[in-house]
Amino acid sequence: MKILVADDSRVMRQIVIRTLRQAGYADHDVVEACNGAEAFQLVMTEQPDLVLSDWNMPEMTGIDLLSALRSSGSQVPFGFVTSEGSTTMVERATQEGALFLIAKPFTAETFSEALDPVFA
Amino acid sequence: MNVMIEPSLHDVVSLTQEVWTSFLGYDEPLFEGEPLPDDATVVSATVTVSGAWAGVVSLQVSEAMAHRITAAMLGGSEKVDESDVSDAVGELVNMVGGNVKSLMPGPSTLSLPVVAHGRVFWPHESAEVVRADLTWAGEPVCIAVHVPLEQ
Repeated sequence: MKILVADDSRVMRQIVIRTLRQAGYADHDVVEACNGAEAFQLVMTEQPDLVLSDWNMPEMTGIDLLSALRSSGSQVPFGFVTSEGSTTMVERATQEGALFLIAKPFTAETFSEALDPVFA
Repeated sequence: MNVMIEPSLHDVVSLTQEVWTSFLGYDEPLFEGEPLPDDATVVSATVTVSGAWAGVVSLQVSEAMAHRITAAMLGGSEKVDESDVSDAVGELVNMVGGNVKSLMPGPSTLSLPVVAHGRVFWPHESAEVVRADLTWAGEPVCIAVHVPLEQ
């Protein structure tokens, strides 16, 4: 199984990857993208089983990435990992097709709760 | 009459503590402390919230503290360079700012973080509504929220 992690912060990508391991996803391959545009290209070439994306990124935001993927016909499972966890953001993410929104700061338990149903 | 809505000091400190313990561990708590010394070499980071509520959330730490934070966030095993420091400090203010944004009226947008060496100097058109001088591992951490002055 392959997970694409998109975040303009290398430090945050490392934290997400570490948390994925702690949540029991150590066996999954991880692909990294530093912005939404790169993430879009990597979804096309790498065909991940899940995209974990920040919301606020240069080049292309996470919400624009999700919209572009859905417009292209991609139904890749998609979740946000973002510092903005308001009800409004969750609603917008869901409307665009995201399966979940994990708000920063997060724990391994939060990741398990969000990801386990996706890989069940 | 316009009523300025502000985050409370308690809320800002609470969410900062949550961010800190989540990503920097529980061994060293973040608690009330002293301001940054005047002669400290400072790394500053800000994020701006725009929209139904407008404000700037800032984080200021000493340069040594910024390196220590970065090493901790990277798991302690990697060498830290200046881009990593900007990244890590920026990400911390991004999380604090994003959580402040969630407490305030919406809709609004959160900017990307800006990180610089040196203190933040605020324009006269802004007002400090929250300031928390905290301490982590013996080092000062300053979190502040500024809003535009009413016209």
